[in-house]
Amino acid sequence: MVPLENYLVLSGILFSLGVYGVLARRNAVLVLMSVELMLNAVSLNFVAFAVYLDPGRATGIVFAVFVIAVAAAEVGLALAIVIRLFRNRSTANVDEAATMRW
Amino acid sequence: MAEHAWMLAAVPAFAFVALTATGRHLPRQGDFVAVLTAAAVFALFFAVLASFLGLGDAAWPVLNSIEWTAIGSFELRMGIAVDQITIVMLAVITTVAFMVNVFSVGYMKGEPRYWWYFAVLQLFVASMLMLVLADNLLLLYIAWEVVGLSSFLLIGHYWERRSAVEAAKKAFVTTRVGDVGLLIGIILLWDATGTFNILDIFHAVEAGAVGETRLFVTMMFILLGAMGKSAQVPFHVWLPDAMEGPTPVSALIHAATMVVAGVYLVARLLPLFESAGGALMVITIVGLVTALFSGAVAFAQTDIKKVLAYSTVSQLGFMFVALGAGLVSAGMFHLFTHAFFKALLFLGAGSVIIGTHHHQEMGQLGGLWRKMPVTAATFLIGSLALAGLFPLAGFWSKDEILHAVDAHRGALVFLLISVASIMTAFYTMRLFVRTFLGKPQDEAIASHTRETGAIMTLPLVFLAILSVIAGLAVFHEVGDALGFPGGFGEFVYLHHPEVFHVDWGLAGFSTALFVLGAFAAGWLYRGGRLDRATALAEWQPRLYELLRRKFYFDELYQALIDRVVLGFSYVVSWFDRFAVNDTGVDGSAAMTGYAGFLLKHLQTGRVPNYALAIAAGVVALTLITLAVGG
Repeated sequence: MVPLENYLVLSGILFSLGVYGVLARRNAVLVLMSVELMLNAVSLNFVAFAVYLDPGRATGIVFAVFVIAVAAAEVGLALAIVIRLFRNRSTANVDEAATMRW
Repeated sequence: MAEHAWMLAAVPAFAFVALTATGRHLPRQGDFVAVLTAAAVFALFFAVLASFLGLGDAAWPVLNSIEWTAIGSFELRMGIAVDQITIVMLAVITTVAFMVNVFSVGYMKGEPRYWWYFAVLQLFVASMLMLVLADNLLLLYIAWEVVGLSSFLLIGHYWERRSAVEAAKKAFVTTRVGDVGLLIGIILLWDATGTFNILDIFHAVEAGAVGETRLFVTMMFILLGAMGKSAQVPFHVWLPDAMEGPTPVSALIHAATMVVAGVYLVARLLPLFESAGGALMVITIVGLVTALFSGAVAFAQTDIKKVLAYSTVSQLGFMFVALGAGLVSAGMFHLFTHAFFKALLFLGAGSVIIGTHHHQEMGQLGGLWRKMPVTAATFLIGSLALAGLFPLAGFWSKDEILHAVDAHRGALVFLLISVASIMTAFYTMRLFVRTFLGKPQDEAIASHTRETGAIMTLPLVFLAILSVIAGLAVFHEVGDALGFPGGFGEFVYLHHPEVFHVDWGLAGFSTALFVLGAFAAGWLYRGGRLDRATALAEWQPRLYELLRRKFYFDELYQALIDRVVLGFSYVVSWFDRFAVNDTGVDGSAAMTGYAGFLLKHLQTGRVPNYALAIAAGVVALTLITLAVGG
């Protein structure tokens, strides 16, 4: 059986990639994908812990299912915003959508 | 029936609601409702009285109460207690209220807000009856305040007149100063005994639940309330001004019933005052000062109603003196007789005012005897009863007070109260002589003067009869024949019933006092002429001015309010403006605004900046958790 640490390391790597993507990427769609990456890292953590630490019950797995559902809703909303942004500004660059300030 | 005496108060309360709602639209603006209500209450009183006497003294006081509310282990009961003092008060209130309601139909004819006047009159009667029926101090206090409210409304009935508004306000505020004392006293008593019920408080105090010093302080607070309502010096200033109200109101509220609420309260709680060290002596002193002071002021007043007002204050002082001597019977007896002849005098004054088309300055009247014979005759009876002529009502009650003071308070108080009696006779006869005898001072007024109609003279006659015979209630035989356990002293008493015996020496002395005062007035104002009185006033102009200006009490209070109250208000207003408003309220708003001005620069609008801040925040929180929770 694969040890728990391996899953955690993989999850950590995925999460860090996600954070990097959110901070470094300028394209709104790529930023969204990076957010998905972070969420998947978290889901992986949930499932791994559920299987290793609490094998009798499905609490962590159910959480993972919830995260997937919420992530789907969030992506739907966020893509709608990106489409509106592109329609209005002809760009998906997040740096240029900086008018919501004082 | 006695246990359902609450109906006495319920009937006029209902009439108040009915008249307020519909009075304006009823025929005759609903005055017949008021008169019928008063008649019904008067009749109900006799049912209560018969039932009360039928139960016998073993069943006294008759109690009836319901649970009002319960908070934890504290249970508040509201109810009535009918004892001998209550019966006397009920007799006074129902009789005078009936007469005043009838008289008002004539007096208030054509006046503005006729229906509202009668509605508030019913409210007053209801609350006054509730006040004397209450078995606990809380209910008493509520009724006490409603009585004050209706007094305020009636004094200010002619609110188009600025002086009436001022007088109403003055009465309300002045009595409120005393009422705060009463409320504090009630709370202190509750705190010490855990109950509002008057009988329970008596038992608790008897068992020693309250220390003597504490009881003394408590009773002084309660005395403040009694002094405010009963217009004792230094709270007397509102009563003469209250004469701005319609005259029947002065008769009912400011002579016969409301102003004796303070006397009633002291009589009701006399066992507590007795246990409270020197409290009785304080009551005596207050009463004595009031009796002498206002008797003297009445000398120099020229308005009929003002003379009567100061006379009332003075007689209330007599009652306080009697209670201060520890004798409930003497105080309550004077209250009882005084109610009838003073109501008679005020209604007589009202009759004069209507008969002369609204003139009440003695300097413009005179010689009304021929024009208004019924009013003059009844007024004379009332005056003689007040002055204490044998054998009218005032003679017997004043005799009782002299007797009480002689037995319990020593020579000095006796001497002073005798002086006050002479004053009473003097100003009363001065009032009568100047108003009704001699030649008219103003022919124009005199030529228009007519006797008033039967609706006004009949109450006068009825009250005149009572003013003659009410004093006889003191005799054992009279009380016995009426079904009481005997005379007044055997019916109303604190410790021991006392059979009345005529003390001819004292009676002679009292008559001598009357003769002295009456003849002084008769000599000074013989035939309604003023030359001797004017000479007297010019001989001592300072003294005359002092009396005429009522010892400068109003000026003193005005100065106090201007300097102390307004000065303090100025400081408070400054604190409110600068500390609370400018610094507190506006200050916090300005600070929030400035913080926003500084922090808005963090709002760049760039998504990556926010994302970086979030990431940095998560890292920081994680590090802190590791460092602290580690």
